[in-house]
Amino acid sequence: MTNQENAKIELKLDHVYKSFAKKEGKEILNVIEDINETFHGGEFVAIVGQSGCGKSTLLRMIAGFIPVTEGSITVNGAKVIGTDPNRGMVFQKPTLFPWLTVQQNIEFTFKMRGILKENSEKVKDMLNLIGLYEFRNEFPSQLSGGMAQRVALARTIINQPDILLLDEPLSALDAFTRMNMQDEVLGLWQMRPQLAIMVTHEIEEAIYMGTKVLVMDKNPGKVQKLISIDMEYPRNRSSNKFVEYRNEILETLHFGVKEEA
Amino acid sequence: MKEDTTTQNKLTFEQLLEKEQKEKTKKDKVLDFLVCCLPILMGIIAILEYLYVPNFGNFKNLSPNTYITFIIILIAAYTAVFVVSLFLKKKNLYNKVISKAPITAAIFAAFITYDLLTLKSNKLLYPFFPWFNDILNAMKGDAAFLWECTLSTLKLLFYGYFFGAAIGFVTGIICGYSKKAKYWIDPIIKLLGPIPTATWIPLVMVIASTLYKGCVFIVALGVWFAVTTATMTGIESIEKSYFEAGQNLGCNTRQLVFRIAIPAAVPSIFQGLTQGMSSACVSLMVAEMIGVESGLGWYIVWAKAWANYGKMYASLIIICIIFTVVTQALAYIKRYVLRWQEGMVR
Repeated sequence: MTNQENAKIELKLDHVYKSFAKKEGKEILNVIEDINETFHGGEFVAIVGQSGCGKSTLLRMIAGFIPVTEGSITVNGAKVIGTDPNRGMVFQKPTLFPWLTVQQNIEFTFKMRGILKENSEKVKDMLNLIGLYEFRNEFPSQLSGGMAQRVALARTIINQPDILLLDEPLSALDAFTRMNMQDEVLGLWQMRPQLAIMVTHEIEEAIYMGTKVLVMDKNPGKVQKLISIDMEYPRNRSSNKFVEYRNEILETLHFGVKEEA
Repeated sequence: MKEDTTTQNKLTFEQLLEKEQKEKTKKDKVLDFLVCCLPILMGIIAILEYLYVPNFGNFKNLSPNTYITFIIILIAAYTAVFVVSLFLKKKNLYNKVISKAPITAAIFAAFITYDLLTLKSNKLLYPFFPWFNDILNAMKGDAAFLWECTLSTLKLLFYGYFFGAAIGFVTGIICGYSKKAKYWIDPIIKLLGPIPTATWIPLVMVIASTLYKGCVFIVALGVWFAVTTATMTGIESIEKSYFEAGQNLGCNTRQLVFRIAIPAAVPSIFQGLTQGMSSACVSLMVAEMIGVESGLGWYIVWAKAWANYGKMYASLIIICIIFTVVTQALAYIKRYVLRWQEGMVR
């Protein structure tokens, strides 16, 4: 798929509301209120916000795990109902199937859809790409956290989804592995820049990776600000521009950066 | 992106162990070798003791060579493994021989002690405690019938275990999945589960069309309880995220059951299978002793009725061997199937 074709991908969130029933339906909890945004292929949207702002809920609605309460989510005009490998999701925990080897985990999706034979080369390429070809016959219990998350990423990306959903995929990793993985995820995305939406609670990660940062408020969760990050990759974490973006987001989240007297 | 694959990864596990272990001194090595010779020495002592210590009173030891042959076979088997292990390049087998040598020697010592207590001194009273040669002769003499009984026991065990496990597996999965099915089946399990299955034998003997079918039912019942409960808990305690990942990767409902729920529940299922096996062994023996007129359990009762204690012990020994083998085989299958579990590998 070329970049132009990718650009045609359009995810539209049309006045999306989400409420959960609490205490056996005696209380209604409004989690998300009136989200109205449109994203396109080639964008990397990072969603930040305090815990409880509904950012994961939003992602899970786009993935199709949970229905919207009001409004609609459409991909290229088609309403999102249920899950689809075309909206691939990577979770916070790798959730690799522990009874399958690395290779079996990666080719799982092809096997389920009965198209493994014609895609066996792809599996091999993917194993090489993530540098785990030698580990293809190992079980997940033998992998380190970073390796496991890489397999999880590969298992989703191999479908070439139009929309890649990342639910804090790096938050369980240590600081160094995390920084390496940020570059790897970006690399995988740049190879075939579809629409990526990542939830994170690290502002720095959001600015480092996103083309856009969506800042969300909580109780109930709504969009506070959508900031376009106008910087070339790879980005310098200590550049002035980076710090400016950081301050802007912090202020939006009411962590007021006090002007020095 | 590459993981660094240094020379470390190329070491085998054995080499690693050897490297990390303290260097063995010459004295240690000689000591190891001597320990390995200990069982052979004990075996020879057992033969000498049997031959040269006089028998008690007027005990007649018929065809006395059976015991000697038996001991010689044991010694030969051990020696063969020992010698082979010496010539193998890998030290695995030799290390295993070293670790098993003391217990093997102790087994021979037990033979000696038992022989001294029975045939040589009658401290353990005849005929309740026949000497080992007597038991071996009983086994040999009645081999054809014992074989028949063994097959009968194995058949009963297999049928009961197979039906119990298969049905338990299915009900377990259904109950794990459907709240409605669980609503109806759970009370049955809660109510009847704590009752030892052998309790039902008298009732089943009356109701069942044949005694044999009744016994299969009794054995299967215990296995069914164990497997159903374990499978149900297994399915219920699967992390939800596995299903989500599966859905996201394109599983349909059937695939969610067969490709995710069942494999994820396998550790639990095996727990149930192991528990079911011990339950099956217990109910099998009780069933044979009071119900069916064949099998090793029945043979024990029958031999005792004729006061033929040699035969009774022969049957006991075979039962012990069968149950050990069956349990070990199950454990082996479990280890293989669950090799992906943490801590199971290497």
